[in-house]
Amino acid sequence: MRDLIIIGASAAGVPAGVYASRRKLDFKILSGDFGGEMARSGEIENWPGVVHTTGVELAGKFREQAKANNIAIDEGVTVTELRREDDGFVVRGKNNGTEIEERARTVIVTTGVHPRELDIPGEKALRTKGVSYCTVCDGPLFDGKTVATIGGGNSALESAIMLSEIAEKVYVINKNPQFQGDTTLIEKVTEQLTQKNVEVIYNAMTQKILGDGFVSGLEYTTEDSDEPQKLEVDGIFVHIGMIPNSDFLPDDVERNEYGNVKVDMIGKTSVPGLFAAGDVTSMPYQQLAIAAGQGVAALLTAVDYLNKLKT
Amino acid sequence: MAAKNVTIYTTPTCSFCHAAKEFFAENNVEFTEHDVAKDGQAREDMIKKSGQMGVPVIDVDGNLVVGFDRNRLTELLGL
Repeated sequence: MRDLIIIGASAAGVPAGVYASRRKLDFKILSGDFGGEMARSGEIENWPGVVHTTGVELAGKFREQAKANNIAIDEGVTVTELRREDDGFVVRGKNNGTEIEERARTVIVTTGVHPRELDIPGEKALRTKGVSYCTVCDGPLFDGKTVATIGGGNSALESAIMLSEIAEKVYVINKNPQFQGDTTLIEKVTEQLTQKNVEVIYNAMTQKILGDGFVSGLEYTTEDSDEPQKLEVDGIFVHIGMIPNSDFLPDDVERNEYGNVKVDMIGKTSVPGLFAAGDVTSMPYQQLAIAAGQGVAALLTAVDYLNKLKT
Repeated sequence: MAAKNVTIYTTPTCSFCHAAKEFFAENNVEFTEHDVAKDGQAREDMIKKSGQMGVPVIDVDGNLVVGFDRNRLTELLGL
């Protein structure tokens, strides 16, 4: 049985791994991908000590550091079950299709989040055919086209800013009367870019995505009328929030009403020996710099726990 | 074993594209890359070939893989 398994290899999991390696723990990282939402971030200007970088670049640095510390990372893993067993935990899942089973005395969950879907007609069928949840990933394919970003927070604002450089026309569909987020981003979109090629539609709920084979448009309603309005667009970017990847956890791991794992200040969950860090947790601020700090704290708490097991 | 003809369609900000190229490098697989953010023709080709707009799209001797599917690529490349 290993000392530790870390599930997730992004802003929380990799720093935890670096500390684990330097403590000479017997551990490995299991993850779906390397970099998670960090790698899918576009421009990053608030990572401590770095004036400007990008998600891909920063994830690259994390990967370099993981290699330098000889951290074993299994990528392409989906964890389907985590249970208490004997003196530790058993983690089950699939590694690129093959069943896996790993055991460790402690586990740190850093599985992050995934994008919320609109849950409207046309959305599933047209996913990757004009419907996207990652502007950074797919925005560049809409050079010279007409697109819509759906959302009302920082992600939607960042999406609109990126798309305004690429697409011919950008609609932003906000279900609220105003945006919520960084003032600089709000001002950039609502004051500068609306003079250029961005049009914001407030108090609008997207009802349907249209298209035969590929996206051709969408329908939305506003408070004024139930009569749906139609927009002709080639691409739709959905940025309406994130959902924690916590479904695989057993019921005795306490979560809040959104599914985020409840943790204390040092990463402890309601289950002894099980720790969590990053966006999957109940920490209300989802930021790279915070995730890294939480990852390190969770690891040091795990070390403390392991030391107490030995005495 | 005859060398495979490998083409990858990417954008500069796509993390899975990056991971796929690292995978090729680690396994000494030669490949041709088309940046579909810059190359409009390559973009059209990719969308036509794959019937969708996600990157990466990887073509191994005419066999298409959408997304960085490590298993499938290992199989197709005979690794």
